[in-house]
Amino acid sequence: MLQTIKPKGKTIFWYLFIPVAMFVFTVFVPLVTALVFSFFEWKGGPNKIFNGLANYIQLYNDSTFWQAFGHNIYLVVACIIGQIGIAFILVMMINSRLVKFKSIHRTFGFFPSTIAAVCIGLIWNMIYHSKYGILNWFLKLIGRADLTQPWLSNSKLVMLLVTIPLIWQYIGYYMVILISAIASISTEIFESAEIDGANGFQQAVYITMPLIKNTLLVCITLCIAGNMKAFDNIYVMTAGGPGNASMVMAMYGYQVSFGQSNMGYGSCISVAIFVLSLLVIGGSQFLINKLTAEKEA
Amino acid sequence: MKKRSILCIAMAAVMAASLVVPAFAAVDVAESDLAYAGDLNVMHFSTSEESEGNGGSDGFRTVLAAWNEAHPDINLVENVLANAEYKTQIATLAAAGDLPDVFLLQGMNTKQWAEQGLIMDLTDIIAASPYYDDYAQNYFTPFKVGDSIYGYPVLTGGTCTVVIYDKAMWQEAGFDSFPTTWEEVEEASAYFSEQGIDTIAFGNGGKWQANSCFLSTLGNRYTGPDWFQSLIDKSGAAFTDEAFVKALEETRYLFCDTDIFNDDYNAVTNEDAREYYISGDAAAFIGGNWDESYIWAALKDDDPEKFDNIGFAVLPQPADAEFAPDSQNIGLGYAVAFNSALADDPDKLAAAIDFAQEVTGPAFSSYVAENYALGGLTDAGEVDLSAFDQITADFYNWSYVDTEKCEIYDSYINSAVWDVVNTDLQTLMNGETTAEEVAANAQAAYEANY
Repeated sequence: MLQTIKPKGKTIFWYLFIPVAMFVFTVFVPLVTALVFSFFEWKGGPNKIFNGLANYIQLYNDSTFWQAFGHNIYLVVACIIGQIGIAFILVMMINSRLVKFKSIHRTFGFFPSTIAAVCIGLIWNMIYHSKYGILNWFLKLIGRADLTQPWLSNSKLVMLLVTIPLIWQYIGYYMVILISAIASISTEIFESAEIDGANGFQQAVYITMPLIKNTLLVCITLCIAGNMKAFDNIYVMTAGGPGNASMVMAMYGYQVSFGQSNMGYGSCISVAIFVLSLLVIGGSQFLINKLTAEKEA
Repeated sequence: MKKRSILCIAMAAVMAASLVVPAFAAVDVAESDLAYAGDLNVMHFSTSEESEGNGGSDGFRTVLAAWNEAHPDINLVENVLANAEYKTQIATLAAAGDLPDVFLLQGMNTKQWAEQGLIMDLTDIIAASPYYDDYAQNYFTPFKVGDSIYGYPVLTGGTCTVVIYDKAMWQEAGFDSFPTTWEEVEEASAYFSEQGIDTIAFGNGGKWQANSCFLSTLGNRYTGPDWFQSLIDKSGAAFTDEAFVKALEETRYLFCDTDIFNDDYNAVTNEDAREYYISGDAAAFIGGNWDESYIWAALKDDDPEKFDNIGFAVLPQPADAEFAPDSQNIGLGYAVAFNSALADDPDKLAAAIDFAQEVTGPAFSSYVAENYALGGLTDAGEVDLSAFDQITADFYNWSYVDTEKCEIYDSYINSAVWDVVNTDLQTLMNGETTAEEVAANAQAAYEANY
């Protein structure tokens, strides 16, 4: 009976082949072609001239690219602290027995991450708007009109200002992941800790965090990967400006490829984003594993 | 029951008619006997939203529809995108060597795409056009490489730099007309600042506006037209030349060191800035003809008093500038161009030529002249301004009669250069870099990419 229900190996192979083929076509092929194009001077059109490592040498000396890379690192650090850190604190608060309507908190917390990034950018543009924005309105309301300014024109503050919406948007996303991880911890452990006199902070640091370490690692990896390719929110809010003050790597690659019609160098930037992202993710995992291993030892 | 049915049918017919009857009379395209039958791919950015109040887009869509109707054997396959998306997609298709049969070519891409063999040389085809004698020859300049022409300039010839001001507000400030020098504008800004009003609204959030709608005209006041022609021809001029650096310095001074402009000029776009003018938060606005048509439509019915007070002016003249105080940059930024592969199919090419001739020909020009008081590539004769409101008539005279014309910078050279300039201009206007640094970066990009 089982033999008749069980599909043939060939059938299983072809069913599994479809997603693998799609993955190869949409991820692997563009990556390889970008790598190939990165060795050419290609200003659009059919004419490509092989120029060896010239694009990579240009990239090495391109201060705008490295400035953009610095901005991505800023985003990564700020978002790990802001997104995962705040999400963890909120989860601990929601899990408290004192909090009512937990599902409502979860739903509203998750809601921003369902909104399109372009809409988030527009919403926060309105908040920061110099004349009609709620931020300047509030400052005037509390008698601090001297602090009002055209926020997104301020080169020194603009990275922080474009990071805040990113943090706000994804707190709920990490909350949901962390809630499910914490739900798998036996309540008996927390009850025992409570009997032993552990307060909320001690329970969070000495019980919850070690037991959801792998989930936290996944969250950090997702956070790094997401912020190394940040584009849409920032593009809507500042388009990388003023000047290059909020330029990030993906936007710079887009600008070079399509704004300047320099596809060869744009491909080189794409390859660099991929390599640098792998290095940052790998490096952070190595660091975390080393730190936690030392602690456990 | 029968009466009710008849009534329903009659109402439905009236509703359907109201949907299909256009705001203006339809146009007739020239009859032609084309052998081609099949698909003709056309890509453009005259969306239905864009065409509302925009004469060029409305005219293009109207003539395109008329041509489509007149050639039932040809299936016009349209790919219509908003302008920003259009620019990205057409650049992608060009990079892939997969341009549509017929599309709109931006002036600054002409040289690069012609060198790549992507676009067809139309010099002889245009010379053979039945409307050739009525073409405004100067509109072809951005689409020329040497003596070869690569496109039929399309849509309407409109300014990229017009000062739109509220006559009543400026009269209250003590000016019967818009100041002709920046010193006078600075004086006025003291008055407007006291009132809590911006003197001039400007939006450079998209980065291109400062180049297209400000520097292009201001630069001409310092350098004169020969300098830019020399830059196009690569015959000696450089971005680092003293006159151009002075223009950059003046730009930095006006935006950074005076209170003339709204303080968020680098954070808002021209679409936001023109709302400052419409709402009365600014006494004037600097933008292009597309902004004028928006302001015209926004004020005409909603605020007739403010509408009647609309005035037009050229950029004021800087004290140390030597050239053309009445100049404004005007032209046709796009041309109908063909994929060079069309040469392999003579019948299809003939259809494309006929299409291009009509959407830039007398049918288009008459339509935009009669309905919008605008001009295109083909001369439509004298426009009867008595049929229009005073503001439309004033803008026509300002655009085509009373002012001196100069070139639109980013219709020439190429995007790699202007992208660098535009990014640096934002920093310059924020006072975070010097005119010399901007000029040096621009020259480096020019030498590397042009």
